[in-house]
Amino acid sequence: MFALALAALSQQAGILASHGEKATVLLFIRSDCPISNRYAPELERLYKKYSPLGIDFLLVYPEAGLTEAAMKQHSRDYGYSIPSVLDPHHEYVARAKARVTPEAAVFIHGELAYVGRIDDRYVDLGKARAQPSQHELEDELSAICSGRVPPFHETRSVGCVIEDLK
Amino acid sequence: MKCAWLALLSLRLPGPPVTFDKDIAPITYQYCAPCHHAGEVAPFPLLTYRDVRSHAAQIIAVTQRRYMPPWPPEPGYGDFAGERRLTEAQLRLIADWVKQGMPEGKPSDLPPNPHFTAGWQMGAPDLIVKMPQPYTVPAAGGDVFRNFVIPVDLKETKYVRAVELRPGNTGVVHHANIVVDRTRRLRQRDGEDGQSGFPGMDVTTEGSPDVFDPDSHFLFWKPGSVLEPEPEGMSWRLDPGTDLILNLHLQPKGKPELIQPTIGFYFSSRPPTLFPMLLQLEHDGALDIPPGDRNFQVTDELKLPVAVDVLAIYPHAHYVGKQIEAWATLPDGTRRWLIKINDWDINWQAVYTYRHPVPLPAGATLAMRITYDNSSANPRNPSNPPIRVHGGDRSIDEMGHVWLQVLPKKESHEDPRLLLQEALMRRRLEKYPGDFLAHYNLGALCQFRGDTRGAITYYQQALQVQPQNATARNSLAAAFMTENRLGDAIPELQEALRIDPAYLNARYNLARALAANGNPDEAAREYAEFLKQKTDDPDAQAGLGTVLLAEHRYDEALPHFREAARLKPDDADIQTNLGALLAMRGDLIGATQAFENALRINPDHQTARANLARARASLAAQRDAAKPN
Repeated sequence: MFALALAALSQQAGILASHGEKATVLLFIRSDCPISNRYAPELERLYKKYSPLGIDFLLVYPEAGLTEAAMKQHSRDYGYSIPSVLDPHHEYVARAKARVTPEAAVFIHGELAYVGRIDDRYVDLGKARAQPSQHELEDELSAICSGRVPPFHETRSVGCVIEDLK
Repeated sequence: MKCAWLALLSLRLPGPPVTFDKDIAPITYQYCAPCHHAGEVAPFPLLTYRDVRSHAAQIIAVTQRRYMPPWPPEPGYGDFAGERRLTEAQLRLIADWVKQGMPEGKPSDLPPNPHFTAGWQMGAPDLIVKMPQPYTVPAAGGDVFRNFVIPVDLKETKYVRAVELRPGNTGVVHHANIVVDRTRRLRQRDGEDGQSGFPGMDVTTEGSPDVFDPDSHFLFWKPGSVLEPEPEGMSWRLDPGTDLILNLHLQPKGKPELIQPTIGFYFSSRPPTLFPMLLQLEHDGALDIPPGDRNFQVTDELKLPVAVDVLAIYPHAHYVGKQIEAWATLPDGTRRWLIKINDWDINWQAVYTYRHPVPLPAGATLAMRITYDNSSANPRNPSNPPIRVHGGDRSIDEMGHVWLQVLPKKESHEDPRLLLQEALMRRRLEKYPGDFLAHYNLGALCQFRGDTRGAITYYQQALQVQPQNATARNSLAAAFMTENRLGDAIPELQEALRIDPAYLNARYNLARALAANGNPDEAAREYAEFLKQKTDDPDAQAGLGTVLLAEHRYDEALPHFREAARLKPDDADIQTNLGALLAMRGDLIGATQAFENALRINPDHQTARANLARARASLAAQRDAAKPN
């Protein structure tokens, strides 16, 4: 049952099958999470920079009850041109082992290579650096674009907990 | 084996059933919903069962770490009104509820829905002012600290009992301070960097030069603020010709946001009868924090010359600040804590009002201690790698302030606020021996008390520090004039006007000094210059009239007295001089009326009485002469 759902998903969104792209990045965001909203300009910047280099991007909204129209509106409001998808049953969440928004998951040829924070700007809830000092997602993407395949690793992202579906 | 089994059993024992309606709603209604409801600044509503359930894991995460509800003061170090701190029992209740699967419960258990007023919290304000130009908060980047000038158009002085800020429906305004600029000096900085307003985390204004009425109210706004009118008798003065400076902390939220806050005033019909005062503990001059220093401390203290009730406290530091403590040491050595914040976060800075005023006797010493972490281990450090940090109003600078709003008790004939001001300024001189402001203010205090010699000494010391300060030159000249040292006053006033040709107060004093010194032509010129800029000043009109009168230029003097009498109908001297001029022109009826007016205002006005008698006699003589024989 689970495998079937994922198979359907992979056809629909193309995240697990390789279509010649170097990698796929899932960006988990929530429409009402202030921290993930504050990352919108940075995520869009990464998209503009790395999508022409062969990296696929997808915004994933894992919040229960969000409508397609509300998602599109939010994405427009925050200036996203990254394609977006609802994840009402947390299939993407499960596949990426995502825990909070904002969080990034990088797949290379369908295999999870990185999951965690975009950068280290937020140290804790309410505790942010003026400027990030580590840029984990960008480092990952730039390594992939230069032909390396980094081993799987993960970091802890700070943000809004992806709520369990019960 | 048996023990282990029992332990397992106890782990599995469910706690008492916890439901939203019975147990959780009373907590979320009181602690979450005031900010988390539609139209408020928090990012999502937490009002209904569905709202709370859909954020349950997040609620656990933020409440357990005490990130929410935001309440930085440590318990037991000051008892504050509107405390938003969850008890350990409440935290356990929330955790148990989530563990039990978040049951909703019985609707009959649900407390009444909290009532939130949309729009102005106290109904339509008596006066609404709006930021003249909107400002766009960019989508990305660091926090923005900006000041906006908002002119207030009033015809007469009003007394304010409440102020409400409506930041606009966005959530980018993190907190706000409203500063009253009675001198309208700060508007010169508006637009200095090509955008509306001017940058800076903190603003200070000069008091009005003529009245000792220090700003004594915190006009602070933070999300979720409940609008509290000033206590009875504690309204504050808002004069015509005032600017408000709106000091905003703005946080980019991922998309550009246009803001144009409005401020509503609620007036009181009664002037204040209670006069609080703001006392500042600070030592920014000692802020010289080496990079890497994790434990740099700044302290200050102030011995109270009078007994006070402490009403509220406002601690303030920037990003390198780590811990803020303030307390009072009573004359018997007892320590009374006023506040303690262990994990200072400028994002949640606030004014804290004591649930009950904290009484402190004369002789108690207020103290503050602020600890800074300027290492890279402090993630909030705005500089990476850390740099040497000094006092200043940029976000890479630091501050260390504790402001206290106190209500001083009157225990002698003297205004206790003056005694407090004196103590503050003397303390300031200890901290900053070459300080302009302390010398200047001590001079003003001496002058206010009639100690002109003392005032002259302090003003001269202030001018040694800031020779180009026109205000101090003018005050020194005013002190000289009180001593009748006109020859000393005139060059000071001329210098003040050279520094600031638009300084009306100095121009008026110069005209007076020249007139008193026997230079009527020059005096008349200065009065005329003054009146070009401020036609409706009755004292200047009368002053110019008096100079012309002394020069026997009666026809020129008359219109100025007429104007002065119109602007200030309750001045017996003006009426008397007007009457005299009218009499000289032969208008005995008009003259009689003016003298009668003067005597109505001041029945003991001897000149008016004598003039009236002469005018009546002349009138009688005219009537006699006009009678046919």
